[in-house]
Amino acid sequence: MRYLAVFMAQLKIRYIYLKRYYFDTISMIVTMFIIFLLIFYGSMALMGGTPADMGETLEGIVVGFMVWSFALVAYGTLSWGMIEEAQQGTLEQLYMSPLGFGWVTISRVAAHFIINVFTVFIVLLLMMATTGKWLNLDILSLIPLVLLTIAGVYGIGFFMGGLALVFKRVQSALQILQFVLVIFIAAPFGWSPFMRFLPLSLGTRLIGQVMIGEQTLLQLPPGDVLFLVGNSAVYFGLGFLTFKFFENIARDRGLLGHY
Amino acid sequence: METVLRVKDLTKRYPRRRDKPVMAVDHVSFSVDKNEVVGLLGPNGAGKTTTIKCIAGLIKATSGEIWLNGVEAQRQPKKAMERVAALLEGNRNIYWRLTPRENLEFFAGIQGHQVRKVKAYIDELIELFDLKDKEKTSARMLSRGMQQKLALACALIRQTEILLLDEPTLGLDVETSYELRNVLKEMAARGERTILLSSHDMHVVQDICERVIVINNGRVVVDDRVANLMKLFQVSAYRFELEGHLVKELEMKLKERFPLLALSSTDHRTYIDADLVEGSELYEVLDILKAGNIQVKSIGHKEPNLEEIFLAIVKGELK
Repeated sequence: MRYLAVFMAQLKIRYIYLKRYYFDTISMIVTMFIIFLLIFYGSMALMGGTPADMGETLEGIVVGFMVWSFALVAYGTLSWGMIEEAQQGTLEQLYMSPLGFGWVTISRVAAHFIINVFTVFIVLLLMMATTGKWLNLDILSLIPLVLLTIAGVYGIGFFMGGLALVFKRVQSALQILQFVLVIFIAAPFGWSPFMRFLPLSLGTRLIGQVMIGEQTLLQLPPGDVLFLVGNSAVYFGLGFLTFKFFENIARDRGLLGHY
Repeated sequence: METVLRVKDLTKRYPRRRDKPVMAVDHVSFSVDKNEVVGLLGPNGAGKTTTIKCIAGLIKATSGEIWLNGVEAQRQPKKAMERVAALLEGNRNIYWRLTPRENLEFFAGIQGHQVRKVKAYIDELIELFDLKDKEKTSARMLSRGMQQKLALACALIRQTEILLLDEPTLGLDVETSYELRNVLKEMAARGERTILLSSHDMHVVQDICERVIVINNGRVVVDDRVANLMKLFQVSAYRFELEGHLVKELEMKLKERFPLLALSSTDHRTYIDADLVEGSELYEVLDILKAGNIQVKSIGHKEPNLEEIFLAIVKGELK
């Protein structure tokens, strides 16, 4: 019950922010949609002028954009989130939770994900309405696949959050990495056999198979799903371990409360 | 008395990349009994905050032990956190976009308390800290004093046995500092928590603490009851009230014999404040004044204050 109390506290705070700062929430959805429109009309102009000319590329853009939306929030929750907590002086208070900072962070990530599902869903509906391509929304297959896909991004977020604890000013690297995530998603999977070793790449392809190919999670190649599990576990694990390493340095140097 | 906080040989050396490590805390040992309110004093850079943050588990100690009611903090950090809460950076320990009640609910949750079970205590804290009118206002809209009170309330909502307060009145105006002091005093009087408080504001410490630990250059230089220190200082501190003013030669003669003696004057009176260690020194001052034909109106023990005692300790004048 005590662990649940931490999660509920994190969920409530996210919900309050979402509701109280509704303008911020709406502008985030609108901005995402505008970026999508730019990509959509830009690609359409390049490929012939009508959605039909884009073929499967259009559906790929919708899926890729959805994964990128999830990935951005996952990444930002940990990296930018850590900086924000340090800046406002609440990071040390979170560290003092008897349930452990690890659990506080996981609860935060889970709360963000739940809230994010709703906002991304709205963007997704807008995207599908604009393109006229109504994709398969098999929630039972998609939620675990999305979680598995962005778990690797959480690892990257942990790594960057750890860097922020020690080096403080890492905003430039954070911004650049946000766009590197686009490359992981957008680069054609068939380019190289090594693509599957990157974060997001294999997951995006599998999500595409559910949303475009109308397959269920159980119909996906088990080898690919297992590879995704392993890939995400490695990135997440490495990210978390490096975070613990930097956290240790920050505690040793007394940097947790500094910004 | 039951000891709830015990710090044993705590040492913290901050590593530096191309330089020698900085010794911030050097074999500090002390203990605090249940419901005791202890002041941690020291000049800037003495090691107070590092000591407090080591106890709170936020800074890794180089060596030494920290026992929080039977739990060694470095070996069992999670268990230790059930026993201690801290107010560390005044008004910076709260979420500025949340209201006071939301902040309290959040920090209760982070401690693992279910909100419905602590609702009554949240109401009590809102009442105690006079936040009722501002209950639905975002913390960023509150005055600095209110924010600081809220930060303290957020530390209290964790309902831990031990409370660490690092500069709780820092940056507050006189009125708000006085108000917050009264809340702390009330808390101390209730005897509900064991408090270790660091502050530069000696009024706060003198008002609230029963005992003080003075740290200088990372070491404990004094650990005694405030009353004992006051008594010790009072015995040796005298104030002479003299008729008229002293001539230059007499002033020099007094200062030559008692270099730390302080002179002040009004239109018709001169005052001498002096720490006279032995009784015979009192008569020596009187003899010098008599020889200068100065009429002594009164001699009294000077009322000491903690600030002077602290300065004397730090300067090494009080043994």
